[in-house]
Amino acid sequence: MIKNSNTKLKDGIAGGLIYLSATITVAILIVIIGFVLYKGLPGINLKFLTRMWDDVTTVVDVNRNNVTGNNTEAGYVESLGISIALEDEAVVIKSIDNDSPVKDAVNVKKVPYALKKGDVIGKAGSTNFKNITLEEAKLALNEGTGPIKMKVTRPGGGIVPMLVSTIYIIGLTLIIAAPIGICAAIYLNEYAKPGKTLNIIRFAIQNLAGIPSIIYGLFGMLVFVQGFKMSYSILAGSFTLSIMLLPTIISTTEETLKEVPRTYRESSMGLGATKLQTISKIIIPSALPGILVAIILSIGRIVGESAALIWTAGTIAQIPKTLVGSEAAAATLTTKMYWLIKETADLEQASSIAVVLIVLVIALNILSKFITRRFLKKRTS
Amino acid sequence: MKDETKFSVKDLNLFYGNFQALKNINMELYKGQITAFIGPSGCGKSTFLKTINRMNDLVEGVKITGNITMDGVDIYKDMDAITLRTRVGMVFQQPNPFPMSIYDNVAYGPRIHGIRKKSVLDEIVEKSLKQAAIWEEVKDKLKKSALAVSGGQQQRICIARTLAIEPEVILMDEPTSALDPISTLKIEDLATELKKDYTIIIVTHNMQQAGRISDKTAFFLTGEVIEYGDTEQIFNNPRDKKTEDYITGRFG
Repeated sequence: MIKNSNTKLKDGIAGGLIYLSATITVAILIVIIGFVLYKGLPGINLKFLTRMWDDVTTVVDVNRNNVTGNNTEAGYVESLGISIALEDEAVVIKSIDNDSPVKDAVNVKKVPYALKKGDVIGKAGSTNFKNITLEEAKLALNEGTGPIKMKVTRPGGGIVPMLVSTIYIIGLTLIIAAPIGICAAIYLNEYAKPGKTLNIIRFAIQNLAGIPSIIYGLFGMLVFVQGFKMSYSILAGSFTLSIMLLPTIISTTEETLKEVPRTYRESSMGLGATKLQTISKIIIPSALPGILVAIILSIGRIVGESAALIWTAGTIAQIPKTLVGSEAAAATLTTKMYWLIKETADLEQASSIAVVLIVLVIALNILSKFITRRFLKKRTS
Repeated sequence: MKDETKFSVKDLNLFYGNFQALKNINMELYKGQITAFIGPSGCGKSTFLKTINRMNDLVEGVKITGNITMDGVDIYKDMDAITLRTRVGMVFQQPNPFPMSIYDNVAYGPRIHGIRKKSVLDEIVEKSLKQAAIWEEVKDKLKKSALAVSGGQQQRICIARTLAIEPEVILMDEPTSALDPISTLKIEDLATELKKDYTIIIVTHNMQQAGRISDKTAFFLTGEVIEYGDTEQIFNNPRDKKTEDYITGRFG
C-alpha cells in the first residue's frame, strides 16, 4: 500500500485549510455587504435617488389666473391649480395641474423656475407659512388676484449631483485616457523595438500602476489645481484620474494585444496589407473585447476612487456647469461618502451611498462579463 | 515541358543575429510548376520560403545577403514588400482564418487593396472559393464565422483568401501538417489543379507528398541545399548520399 495514514492526514489538513480560507473569504464578503445593506437600504428611496443634495430656497413670482379646475380635494388651491398638504408642519405641493401658472413661475432674476411636486412653500405674499393650518394656507394663496410672491424651498437629501458629477468625471476621464492609453499600448506592442528602452518603459508603467492614488491626488492638486489654476474642478479631477489610469489601461490593452495570434499578423501582411491596415482591420477588432473590459474596469476604479479626487475635484455637491473654475467643483459619490463620514459622521447616509456604489460596481462587472461572452460567441459562430 | 525561370536566387545567406540559417543558396524556381522543399526540422526550408515573399522582414534581427529576382526584378532592392506580397501569396502551416465570416476572410485581401464594390467582391469571393474547391461546402454559410468549420475547410478557405488577391505565385508552408489524411488529399489535388495558373512552392515534411505532387524537389540540410532537381530523379536516383539517406528514412 503506497498511501499511508500520514499522507492521508496531511491531505486532510491541507484540504481543511483550503475550505476554511474559502469560507472566511465568503463570510467576510457577506458580512461587509450585509452591514452596508442593513445600514444603507432604509435610506434609499425615490427621493434619495432623484433629489438634489442641499435644500434650495428660491423666491418666485407666480402670475395667478383663475384656473377652472373642478378638483374638490381638501388642499386644492383654485387660483394656482395645485393641491397642497401639511407634512411635518410644512406646506408641501402634492400635485400640479397641467395648466397651472406655477409652471411659468420666474425667480427674482426673471429666469423661469417651474415649481415641482414636493416643493415646500415657506411664504406667500406677506403670510409666513410657519405653524399654519391648511385652511389658512389656502386662504393666503387664494387672496387677491394677479401676481403673488412665494418663497419656495426645494428639499434636498438626494444624490443627483454626485451621480451626475460621477458620470461627467467618468466620461471626461475616458475621453482623455482611453485613446492615449490604447495608442500607447499599440505602439509598445506593435511598433517599439524590443530592447532595453522598451523594458524600462514597461517597468515604469508597471510601477506607476502600483503607486497609491493619494500620491496622484497630491500631484494633481499641485499641477492642475494650482499650477494650471483650474481650481477644484471636474477637469482637474479627470486629468488626475487619467494619469492614474493610464498605466492600467496600457498594460491591460497590451496584454490583450499580445493574445492576438501572431498568425493573424502574418497572414494579413502576407496578403499585402500594410502594418497600419493590419492593426486597424485585424488586431484592434480582435482585441476589442479585451480593450472594452479594460475600459469597464477603469470605470470601476473611477467610481471607487476618492483619494485622487478629494484634492482635485473637491467635495461640493453640485452639478458642474463648467469644466474649470468654482462652478466646476464636484463631489463624486465616493468623495461625498468620505466627506459625510469625516464632517458629519452620518453613517446611515454614507451607507446609502455605499449601497448605490456597490450596485454600480456589480453592474459594471456583469457588463464586462457579458461583453466578453458575447464577443467570444460571435467570433466562433 | 520547357522550364521557364520565375525566381532566380543568387548567393543567398540569411542570419538570425549571429546564427546563419541559410548558407549560400543558388537556385532557379520555375513558372507553372510545383517545387517542393524537403528536409529535417530546422534545415532552413521554411526560412528560405519566407525570404521569397519577404516575410522574414517582420522578424527582428534578420540579415540577408545575396539576391532574389522575380521575372528579372530584384525583390529586395527594386520592389516594395507590399507589392511583392500581393504577387506572391502565402498559405501557412496552421489554418489561420481571421476571426470573421468566411466571406470577409476571402474579401479581406481585395478590400485592403481598395475594392469596395459589393458586386465585384461577391464575384471574387465566389471565384476564389470555387478555385479552392470549397465553394460547394460553404456557399450557404458565407456569413458564418470561418472558425466554425473544420480544419481542412479552414485551410482551403485560407487558400481561397490567398487566391483572392490574384497572386502569380503561391507559397505553402507545410499546408497539410495540421490536417487529417482526407483533407490532406484534397489540398494536394487542389495544388495540382492550381499549378495550371500559378507557380507553387511548397515546404513539406511529408516525402510522399513531395513525390506525389511536385515537379522539382530541393533537399535542405543545415541551411544548405544538398540537392535540387526533378522530383523523379531526386526520389529514384539521388546523386548525394545524404539525400539518399534522408529519403530512405535513415535520418530526419
